[in-house]
Amino acid sequence: MRAMGIAATGMMAQQTNVDVIANNIANANTTGFKSMRAAFQDLVYQSQIREGALTNEDGTARPVGVDIGLGVQTAGVIRLNTQGGLTATENQLDVAIDGKGFFVVNMPDGTQSYTRDGNFQLSAEGTLVTKQGYEIDPGVTIPENTTSVAISEQGIVSAYVGNDPTPVELGQLSMATFVNEAGMKAEGDNLLYETTASGEAVAANPGDEGVGVLRQGYLEASNVNIIQQITDLITAQRAYEMNSKAIETADQMLSSANQIR
Amino acid sequence: MDNSSYISLTLASSLERSLDISANNLANVNTAGFKGERTLFESYLLQPTDIGKDDVFFSIDSGSYMDPTQGALIATGNPLDAAVLGEGWFAYQAEGGQTALGRNGQFVVDADGALRTAGGAQVLDAGGGPIAIPVEATAVSIGADGTISDQNGEAVAQLGVFAAPDIQSYARLTGGMFAPADGTAPPLLAVEAPRLLQGHLEQSNVEPVVEMTRMMGIQRAYERAMTLLEDENSLRRDTLQRLGPTS
Repeated sequence: MRAMGIAATGMMAQQTNVDVIANNIANANTTGFKSMRAAFQDLVYQSQIREGALTNEDGTARPVGVDIGLGVQTAGVIRLNTQGGLTATENQLDVAIDGKGFFVVNMPDGTQSYTRDGNFQLSAEGTLVTKQGYEIDPGVTIPENTTSVAISEQGIVSAYVGNDPTPVELGQLSMATFVNEAGMKAEGDNLLYETTASGEAVAANPGDEGVGVLRQGYLEASNVNIIQQITDLITAQRAYEMNSKAIETADQMLSSANQIR
Repeated sequence: MDNSSYISLTLASSLERSLDISANNLANVNTAGFKGERTLFESYLLQPTDIGKDDVFFSIDSGSYMDPTQGALIATGNPLDAAVLGEGWFAYQAEGGQTALGRNGQFVVDADGALRTAGGAQVLDAGGGPIAIPVEATAVSIGADGTISDQNGEAVAQLGVFAAPDIQSYARLTGGMFAPADGTAPPLLAVEAPRLLQGHLEQSNVEPVVEMTRMMGIQRAYERAMTLLEDENSLRRDTLQRLGPTS
């Protein structure tokens, strides 16, 4: 009986589903986090009787065959790249992207990673860094005695130093866009990496056509819809139970087959 | 052994296949665009060779067919999700270049801008060619008729929605797809007025409660077949026991 193995694939798929949902709920308050959804697809079918098999010499054929599917598999986990809500924080180093694109992060090993998390900090040298201390491209350094920092919609960082009423322009934050944002690889710490599936990073400036603008003093909240996640969680649990019921049924049938003799 | 044991056996083995089909339906209860499978039973008449004997009917599962009813729609908010309302099938290029039809509208864009299913099959346009979303299109919208347009409202592609009157004769492929059993491409007959819904997914049309009830029915029928086998067996044993001591 294949039913046990088929139902086992169903249970494994629902387990993956619950894992993905649990991670979404766990990150409901993570800045710049994007909700994920597990996509499933049915496995191959075994034809016991082929469609179109001849039923007699005159050429009449079966309109339907007997196809038995072998279960389900996870086709992928799709990241939902919609805009998260903007939350006012009034922190002058918090920047949210309103629209498409990612901040570029220079990693210590010389590679680049990408993030939507604009919760920036200052390093000991005054450079804008992520919470892990990685430099935000192109490496803007805020001078000493700065009283306030202004970041424009186009990403131009300027500082008011001492009592000077005219700001000093320090540089423009760079951004990157991808053809397939869902194909980027997440490695934790709110950082995403370029992959062959995402395509190469397209360098851009904030406010370019098709690229988002920056909002100083705001953070992008996660786009996780908690109500949807909870209902998905209930569905996944019930589906898991139903698959275990299928295993139980197959088991009881085998046991009643064992009892004859 | 005579016919009565074999009749139970035909019933039991077709019920096992039915359970496999039900288990597969349940395993795919969360698979977008999945269409449930149903079993057909029929009796097979064995013409008696001796005149005056009764006819014997065997039970066989002569076929299984796809349940084409519409699955429930859920709003996902993902702009690349599309669901067909009513009649119509999306066309894909499955593994090995085979053109196949299906209802799974959970799409993604790959690095080259090609529209694919999560399983990697290329999605086809109204003319049967692959769909590519230009790199410059940052926000796509899918109209009710399948027109895919970019953020400026300019059409970039036409999502194909096709009628498939003889879909029941198609073989099932992985990924919720259907294609003619002989490996040829299905005819792509455009649906006159397709109705698509962007940001929604058609869920599996498997009704859990129906499937669970069906499974209970299968189990009970299987137990009956086994009881029949057992009765037949003890009948024969009794016969042998009574006849045995006379020799």
